[in-house]
Amino acid sequence: MNIWPTAAAPDAASARRFVAPMLALSIALASVCWAFPEGLSFWRSTGIAAGWAGTGLLVASLVLMIRETRLARLLGGLELSYRWHHRCGVFAYLFLLCHPLALALDAWAEAPPLAWQTLDPRAQSWPLWLGWAGLLLLMLGLTSTFAVHLPYRRWRSFHFLLAGGVLLGLMHVYVLLGNEPLLLALLLIAALALGWRLLASDLGLAAHPYRVTQVEKPATGMIEASLAPCAAALTVSPGQFVLAAFGDGASYHGCGEYHPFTVSAIDQQGRLRICIKALGPCSQRLQEVEAGVLVHLEGPFGTFLDDLGSAPRLWIAGGIGITPFIAKLRAQACSQPTTLIYLYRHTANAAFLEELATTAREDPLFELLSDASGEALPDFDHLLEQVPGLGEREVHLCGPQPLLAAISVALRQRGVGAAAIHFESFDFR
Amino acid sequence: MRQLFIIATAFFWLLLLGFATTDLWLPAEVEAPLPVADSKAYALSEVARHNSSDDCWMAINGEVYDLSSYLPDHPSPPEVILAWCGREASEAYRSKMKERAHSARADRLLAEYRIAALGP
Repeated sequence: MNIWPTAAAPDAASARRFVAPMLALSIALASVCWAFPEGLSFWRSTGIAAGWAGTGLLVASLVLMIRETRLARLLGGLELSYRWHHRCGVFAYLFLLCHPLALALDAWAEAPPLAWQTLDPRAQSWPLWLGWAGLLLLMLGLTSTFAVHLPYRRWRSFHFLLAGGVLLGLMHVYVLLGNEPLLLALLLIAALALGWRLLASDLGLAAHPYRVTQVEKPATGMIEASLAPCAAALTVSPGQFVLAAFGDGASYHGCGEYHPFTVSAIDQQGRLRICIKALGPCSQRLQEVEAGVLVHLEGPFGTFLDDLGSAPRLWIAGGIGITPFIAKLRAQACSQPTTLIYLYRHTANAAFLEELATTAREDPLFELLSDASGEALPDFDHLLEQVPGLGEREVHLCGPQPLLAAISVALRQRGVGAAAIHFESFDFR
Repeated sequence: MRQLFIIATAFFWLLLLGFATTDLWLPAEVEAPLPVADSKAYALSEVARHNSSDDCWMAINGEVYDLSSYLPDHPSPPEVILAWCGREASEAYRSKMKERAHSARADRLLAEYRIAALGP
């Protein structure tokens, strides 16, 4: 897994932050309003409404896991879309837990022993077993989702339990209600979302083929792979990332999984360079990738360095987080005073250090402050003291999450407003 | 989110356990006798006269039920159940939707609306 940059928050992107939650809320509310019963008891009505709210949010969660460039941009970026995908899944689960409990409480009001009869799967038929099976799969799937220390591949396999839970839940509703218009609409949306994700994204039917033309090692435990398009090239801008799945070469066996990598250079012919740090089994194996290997790309995603505005800039990069900034510097000279604070443990881990120093000598608007902190946290106070006019700068951060959190605190203490601090540290989980 | 998930899941299983063990911790109530004497019987021709939403009788499994007051509470759309007012509805009751039988709870509920046996 690579640390990558994401959306800064220009005005348009800020407005788009509300699209994903509004979409989820609309689907859930439409479902509840359509199905809200009249004349039933309080608990029975609550149970039915909770079931439909959960169903609506599950469908919204499926829509928000679609990995498509234009949709991601509309939803405020892939990271935000995934964040709401997770939230919708959890809130759907909470509503679906309430669904059988409220129905049981309705029976309880009639006679307490009837509550368990309402819930007991042994007293039910298969349409209700479907509901129970779906809920249990959601429970198991979410348990694994929150197990952040699980190895990525195992975590991803367990994540498929959630898809099974959603399907069983929708089948539960369908066999109970049949061909109701709203239910059919929800089923159609769910099928399209799941189909797109599995076929176009996970199997790569919508991916663009590229070929590795060169591999360099700019730092220890890190490569920079040059990729040339085999067909239509992606239109990528500095600061964006792509999802790449590497195939096999003459003596290289790719893991074939899609992983996110930030672009480090783009040229006029659509050729790209991406940086890959050895952080997991797949990226470790990629350190041996060779020229000639076919690679499928999806994206690009992210708007991290779009719309930088006219204010002076402060860029802060930690380790592999240098990638979006080197891509921006390679694409064009600075148009505003720009200071880059480059943080790394040891010089051997610092990619592009020489290239950055050369740029700093040649570009009067660009200043480089580099710091090798070893195993300790960098001395932020000392570094930030060297940045003139700190409070007037737009600050972009890219690096490991703990580093970003510590720097953000230091920046806020020195009077930098939250709106001026832009970062993203995306995790696929 | 993680904490919310853990708390909600634990709470769910605790409630489920509570419902499952109702017999252990809740004193049993004496069931009220059914409101109708068993000796009364109505023929299907008599049942057929009660075939409206205000006066809805059904014959189910050899018993006659007056479901007039229950109709507004039934979860199906009204036309589904109204069609069976005044009729022998045993098969409809056994396979209410897609060959699915009513639940044990529904059986208990139905018993409360029994008014007589189905006679010749």
